[in-house]
Amino acid sequence: MRDTKSLLLLLVSLLLVVVSFILIWTWGYSYYKNNSNTISDIKPAAADTALMVNRLKDSLQKEFNATLQELDLQLSTTVSQTDSLKTELDTKLAEFYRLRNEIAAILKNRNTGNNFSEARQKISELQTRVADLKDKNQDVEKENKKLDEVLTQLGNTEKANGKNAKNGIAVKSSTAEKSSPVYSVFTASDLRLAAIMNAGEKETETNVAEKTDQLEGSFTVVNFNSQFTNAEMMVVVLGPDGRVLKNSSWDSGTFNTPEGKKVYSSKFNFSYTMGEAKRLAFTLKTAAIASGNYTMEVYHNGLLIGKMVKTLT
Amino acid sequence: MPGCIKKRILLTTFLLIFTGLLLTAQNNAIQKYGKANVFAGLEVGSKGVKLSLIELLNKETDDADFKILKDTTINTDFISFTQPTYQATLNAMNILYDVAAKQYDIPAVNIFTAISSGVHIQAEKEEKLGWIDQLINSFKYIINEPDRKVTVIDIKEEARLSHLGIIPEARRYKTFLIDIGSGNTKGGYFPYSDTKTFKLFELTWGTKSVANATEKIMGNDKTTENYTNQLSRVLDGAEDKEIVYAVNLSGAFPKSDNIAFSGGIAWAVANLIAPELNENSVIPVSYEEVMEFSEKLAKNPGLYSDQQIVKNLAPNTADPVKTAKDVKQVNKVFDQRSLLSGTGLMLKIMRQFDGVFERKQFFLVKNGSVGWISAFVNLNAGK
Repeated sequence: MRDTKSLLLLLVSLLLVVVSFILIWTWGYSYYKNNSNTISDIKPAAADTALMVNRLKDSLQKEFNATLQELDLQLSTTVSQTDSLKTELDTKLAEFYRLRNEIAAILKNRNTGNNFSEARQKISELQTRVADLKDKNQDVEKENKKLDEVLTQLGNTEKANGKNAKNGIAVKSSTAEKSSPVYSVFTASDLRLAAIMNAGEKETETNVAEKTDQLEGSFTVVNFNSQFTNAEMMVVVLGPDGRVLKNSSWDSGTFNTPEGKKVYSSKFNFSYTMGEAKRLAFTLKTAAIASGNYTMEVYHNGLLIGKMVKTLT
Repeated sequence: MPGCIKKRILLTTFLLIFTGLLLTAQNNAIQKYGKANVFAGLEVGSKGVKLSLIELLNKETDDADFKILKDTTINTDFISFTQPTYQATLNAMNILYDVAAKQYDIPAVNIFTAISSGVHIQAEKEEKLGWIDQLINSFKYIINEPDRKVTVIDIKEEARLSHLGIIPEARRYKTFLIDIGSGNTKGGYFPYSDTKTFKLFELTWGTKSVANATEKIMGNDKTTENYTNQLSRVLDGAEDKEIVYAVNLSGAFPKSDNIAFSGGIAWAVANLIAPELNENSVIPVSYEEVMEFSEKLAKNPGLYSDQQIVKNLAPNTADPVKTAKDVKQVNKVFDQRSLLSGTGLMLKIMRQFDGVFERKQFFLVKNGSVGWISAFVNLNAGK
């Protein structure tokens, strides 16, 4: 019996030894295998630096693109909302565009010898600019909020004092409060109103009212925010007497604004793609042009988006 | 002599003396139009005889190439085809001819005379075409001009002339003109790039016929609410049975960028919807604007009184005195219900052109009443 027990113990001991050996061998093998893999990875990398450069460049490109996307989004909002801080913003935008071009130029060049650390540095600078623009945008929003508060306060004071004696104005004010649009998605720039003199077949610009045969106006509209396929712009040209200048009955009409109904001098219906700078032009052939100030106003969705004054002597 | 004939003679004599006195009284302030470019159109219409003094202009702008200097009508109801209305029409023709020739100093060659399509259609229907011939011959005899041409216009020619008279040349080949009358609607467009071929558009519905049909089904409930309910019933029927087919048949949708409405209802709505453009002979509108007008009119007609409109008039836009006068005139001619009927009919037609992807520009013409006669004068003056 004792011999049988000792034989069983001996067998278990042997089994444990074998299992231990197998485990130790497995660990040893996997350790050796891992080491050999690292070595084999390093070797091709060392052999093909161009691939490494490209990969690095791709990651930079991705980072750059992401930054651009974020910035474009921010820029769209910023452009539509800036007003008093526009000059400062323009400087920052100019810096941003300069940096963007520099980075794009670096990334365009796929030579291995390029210094990508410079690109990385510029991207981080670009990101700082984005942060700056964000801050600036917040400032603009704060300013707008403050202005709104001031306007509301003023409105309330006027109501309380009963200064709005005219019923018509009161009705219009309440209509304005009800109207939902606060901002127009379009911005108007480069407004031009010229007095044209027809000397024979030649058309020349003049500043003398008596010599003027017609008025020619033009402006550029841009929309960064909305995917408008069709847009409608109204132009109001006011003469020195405050009356709206009109071409013919077929060309002029009325439109609604928060201040009430207005008569337009010219209307534009056009197809539009986001971000496109659309130049629009019109001609006004009116009977008599008097000397004085001519005001050109551009409206979208009933909101004033551009205004200029031309003086004729 | 029977008593009724005596009465008629007395009535006609009184009418002649009264009209003569009225015109003599006006004569002091009458301007002479002996100019070469001023013409007169004398038209015998369903309601009466109309004299239009027209000045032809140089076509420098997009506006009409004529200017209406005077527009006078004597109501005679010729289409009743009775002896007194016949006599009244003949007298009115003579009186207005004298006004043009003697008081306004317009040479006989510059005075054009015509009988409208409405008169011709009614005479044909009642087999009274002989009355028209007799009227023309009597008129020529009285004014002592046996060679005078008095043209009887058919409906297509009248619609074509209206188009030529109302729509400026720059918009001629892309505008569909629809004249909503009291008893019917007619119009059309030039499908090709010439003024010879004209595509006629006709509906048997007009402002008055819609209003009459609505009144007929109102029953004992005479409230405005019931009127608007029954009106939509009448208009839905007109749309389903006639308007949709007539518009499709006209083929105007792809060929017209502009849809211009003329007739009394267009004049009325134009004055009420855009008083700021009181000086304009035409005003552009959208379907939504006319719809909003109709809804407001049904709920609160007081919004369109002359006082209310002048009160809300934007500054520096229109002359408040003239605006008030015009609005007052509109409210005198059209009451709330006839305005609702006409506007409803107009909206049903507009809807056929108000697509989701392609929308037409709508216009309301104010001076449509002198459209065809002015074109008639214009064409004949050029010969």
